[in-house]
Amino acid sequence: MSEATAAAPTAATDKDELLRLYTEMLRIRRFEEAAARAYTQGKISGFLHLYIGQEAIAVATADLMKPGDRVVTTYRDHGFAIALGCDPGACMAELYGKKDGLVGGVGGSMHFFAKDKGLWGGYAIVGGHVPVAAGHAFASKYLQDGAVTLCFLGEGAMHIGATHEGMHLAGLWRLPIVFVIENNQYAMGTPLKRQTAVDDLTVRAPAYRMTSDRWVVRDVFETRQRLARAVARARDEQQPALIELLTYRFRGHSMSDPAKYRTKDEVESWKERDPLYRAETALGAEHGMSAEDIEAIDEKVWAEMDGAVEFAESSPLPDPEHRFKYHLVEEGED
Amino acid sequence: MPTMQIREALRAAIDEEMARDDRVFVMGEEVGYYDGAYKVTEGLLAKYGEQRVVDTPIAETGFSGVGIGAAMAGLRPIVEFMTFNFSAVAFDQLLNNAAKLRHLSAGQFKLPMVFRGPNAAAHMLSSTHSQAFESFYCGFPGVKVISVATPYDAKGLLKSAIRDDNPVIFFESEVMYAVKGEVPEEEYLIPIGKADIKRPGKDVTVITWGQGVSVALAGAELAAAEGIDCEVIDLRTLRPLDDEAMETSLRKTNRCVLVYHGWPYGGTGAEVVDRLTRNCFDHLDAPIERVCYEDLNMPYAENLEKLVLPSPEDALSAIKKVSYRD
Amino acid sequence: MAKIVELPRLSDTMEEGVIAKWHIAVGDKVKRGQLIAEVETDKATMEFESFDAGVVLKLVASEGEAMAIGTPIAVLGKEGEDADAALAQHGGGGGGGAAPAAKAEPASEPEAEEEAEDEAEDEAEDEAEEEAEDAAPKAQTAAKAQPPAKAQAPARRTDERIAASPLARRLARERGIDLANVTGSGPHGRIVKTDVEAAGSGAAARPAASVTSGARTFVSRPDEPQKLSQMRKTIAKRMGQANAEIPHFYLTTKIDMDRAVLARQEINEAFPDAKVSFNDFILLATAKALVQHPEVNAYWDGKTIVRRGDIHVGMAVAVDEGLIVPPIRFTDQKTLREIGAEAKDLGTRARDKKLAPDEMTGSTFTVSNLGMFGIEEFSAVINPGEGAILAVGTIGDEVVADGGGFRVAKRMKATLACDHRVMDGAVGARFLQTLRGLLERPLAMMA
Repeated sequence: MSEATAAAPTAATDKDELLRLYTEMLRIRRFEEAAARAYTQGKISGFLHLYIGQEAIAVATADLMKPGDRVVTTYRDHGFAIALGCDPGACMAELYGKKDGLVGGVGGSMHFFAKDKGLWGGYAIVGGHVPVAAGHAFASKYLQDGAVTLCFLGEGAMHIGATHEGMHLAGLWRLPIVFVIENNQYAMGTPLKRQTAVDDLTVRAPAYRMTSDRWVVRDVFETRQRLARAVARARDEQQPALIELLTYRFRGHSMSDPAKYRTKDEVESWKERDPLYRAETALGAEHGMSAEDIEAIDEKVWAEMDGAVEFAESSPLPDPEHRFKYHLVEEGED
Repeated sequence: MPTMQIREALRAAIDEEMARDDRVFVMGEEVGYYDGAYKVTEGLLAKYGEQRVVDTPIAETGFSGVGIGAAMAGLRPIVEFMTFNFSAVAFDQLLNNAAKLRHLSAGQFKLPMVFRGPNAAAHMLSSTHSQAFESFYCGFPGVKVISVATPYDAKGLLKSAIRDDNPVIFFESEVMYAVKGEVPEEEYLIPIGKADIKRPGKDVTVITWGQGVSVALAGAELAAAEGIDCEVIDLRTLRPLDDEAMETSLRKTNRCVLVYHGWPYGGTGAEVVDRLTRNCFDHLDAPIERVCYEDLNMPYAENLEKLVLPSPEDALSAIKKVSYRD
Repeated sequence: MAKIVELPRLSDTMEEGVIAKWHIAVGDKVKRGQLIAEVETDKATMEFESFDAGVVLKLVASEGEAMAIGTPIAVLGKEGEDADAALAQHGGGGGGGAAPAAKAEPASEPEAEEEAEDEAEDEAEDEAEEEAEDAAPKAQTAAKAQPPAKAQAPARRTDERIAASPLARRLARERGIDLANVTGSGPHGRIVKTDVEAAGSGAAARPAASVTSGARTFVSRPDEPQKLSQMRKTIAKRMGQANAEIPHFYLTTKIDMDRAVLARQEINEAFPDAKVSFNDFILLATAKALVQHPEVNAYWDGKTIVRRGDIHVGMAVAVDEGLIVPPIRFTDQKTLREIGAEAKDLGTRARDKKLAPDEMTGSTFTVSNLGMFGIEEFSAVINPGEGAILAVGTIGDEVVADGGGFRVAKRMKATLACDHRVMDGAVGARFLQTLRGLLERPLAMMA
């Protein structure tokens, strides 16, 4: 951990670039907060897993993706959708189960898909998507399309069979894929130390002949830079990688989780490392932005997310016939 | 008689059986320090300690298989799936190990264990988290399958399941954990394989289980308002089926409706229809109707989900149909 | 394009019909509204006027043949058009013309065939019945036939078996009921439990075609199933159903008719052109009594008791093939002479089969009088849709105690059959008490 937590100075020399990434992270956070508010108002049902605290990962990823690259992730998928350019209104409408939702209201929070944006799916069965992501990479190698697949998983998914079978095949067949463990410390309520016998999850990498990297996500630039290295090697050298990102979710596992299993101090200590907080601080301290300027950005972002909520609330319910669609490819469908 | 929730009744059953037999232990995700994802196992870790209340990583194949191995070696595991949707990951362990090892070993091993957890749709969880598994687990020999709908049945049947020397699949429901009902203070067991008449009647037999029970009872009330007197039979055990209870009722009413959570294609509902059609052929005055899920992947949107799920109104129209009153 | 003429539904309870007489022949030019056939329904023989114009290309149905409503009976079109092609396209039972839709005779052929044939009727009857229910309020429009509201299902092909629930089959087997004689009320004419129960005791005796011998030889003749008229079939079905379903009980009273006899005499002397009968007195008294006892002018609709708003006393009229009950509408609001005139007219036209469908239905209470046959008293079966029926016997001389001595009085017995679901004994008894009072003081009744 010492290496990973070594000083990672905010590499932002470019104010505009920092401001852009900050805004992107803020959009995700505010989206999630708007969703949480709607959930507490009873406007959203089902399970709602928030990405608050982990935004830098999705934003960094989106920033380095090339056309054709894919993200496959877990049920904690809103952040990637926003980062990859999905309309927050459509995302919110999906949470509301409305007609204008990302997938027309059939999937809800845990099952976002936006193929055209490179989001090849949010998956709700832990580890089930890992071999599937390997399959996307298999196709890239087969078709020589030059695309890379980025497969995100929680640290909890490191203990289930499908994950290991998928990684094993990726290593065996030298597939252009990067597996990224978003280690937010808890598999639901179970801390890492009661989940796994090792401290460092990347120790599995050599067993599958993958390269590895591991760091604390404090800085969106650093995260982007180190991820980019792995993606480049996967793309150019067919070298799969296993990356462990130490991060933290500030909310419970889902909206129904009171998260009594962790201490206030622990949460506070992670807030110090929060890339969003750090970016905001840097904008002020290093780039001379006033609190008012930053506040103005926040207001703009809030306005966007309030608009998303409004859009979701005014969107109609799906047509009853919609439930019959897409179970199989029908005549005339692409 | 004291009343309690289904989750409390289940907890009481586990607690009593753990106290009675120290080979009984609980294993699963979040059963210990988290006190259970749905609080069924709340307080058991504090009472029995880590050896007997075992938190597992997310590793269904692994901990299901561990449970099977431990049972073969003489322990009596209660394996909790956070939801039976996740049991799909461990299906091989249940199908090829739990159900077969006694047979393959020609009786050298027995597998006294319970796989339990919530099953079928809850509310707006979309297709991967809304599935009813009885059709899968009833579809092969070598296991017993139970599905409960009341606190009384939950406690009495879970105790029987824990004491049974065979692998028992035990279905609960997320949305029913808070359902309250009377549970006697004194110890009791409900035999596996016995259905229960939840509402006596003479005109139409309504066969149901699990989450279907409340739908069926509500449908029966609607039917009563229209002068049709339904007998609602809660199967409680889905494998082996209580043929006698179903047939006795059907011979009386001559018409039958099934109300359950699950897909219509094949499975437990189809099995019941098949048996009744063959065994009571000459007593049927109308084809048996089934009220269950539409044959669709479950949509997330509330309005669509409602359409896919069976409702009391759906039950009523089926009841009227078999009564030639539609 | 050739037009298929289908057997029309000419009464609200008609399920099948017979072409009693064709008024057209192949090659005739037919105008709209032209009489083309007489159709025997369950109630009467009706005139059937064409809805279409054209040349008669083919007569599919022959006279005397029973068929379901909607069965093609003729083809109209332009000269030279192919009638069979039109029929084939129509998809009806008459395709090719060789196979008539269905025969009605209860055949004494092997069971399977018999079943199959009646099966065809059953389905059609069922459909018609459903439709009758749908269209009931509209259906009562005079003798002019209305086109069927929706496409009628063609009669079932004769190679199909009877649709009956397994339970219905078993019950029929156990009770010796031939399913061929049972009309199905379920979907697609399926015979279900209640249908078999309604068919109830109607089990036909098995013919025993043997000559008994012993010390003496007896001649034994086989049983003969009779060809049933549509009306007979309907009566059999409805009365069987009524007897099976309605819990009847009976109340008999004896009425002093001395004053009624005198009153009638005086009225008829005053109006010799419009004589009234005793039965007219009884119809009027019944109506007046019903005004005072609305609970008797009621019926059981399956779930609850329905009190009728109007009083239409029906009079059972015996006709050649059975019995019909034309109502005298708003009986309570008519005078004795109006009732007399109407009863006479209805009776005459009923016997001539000239009543329109709506003149034969709609009674809310029935009076059946067998006095003219010298019947002292009898009990009648309640007409479905009503809650009671009054069975009236003959008026005869009786020696009665009178003060210290005796005298000869005119006495009549009347028996009220009541539906116990609708009323109890005391209700019926009070009604009879009122009725007796009215007839014993007829002047008051007419005031």
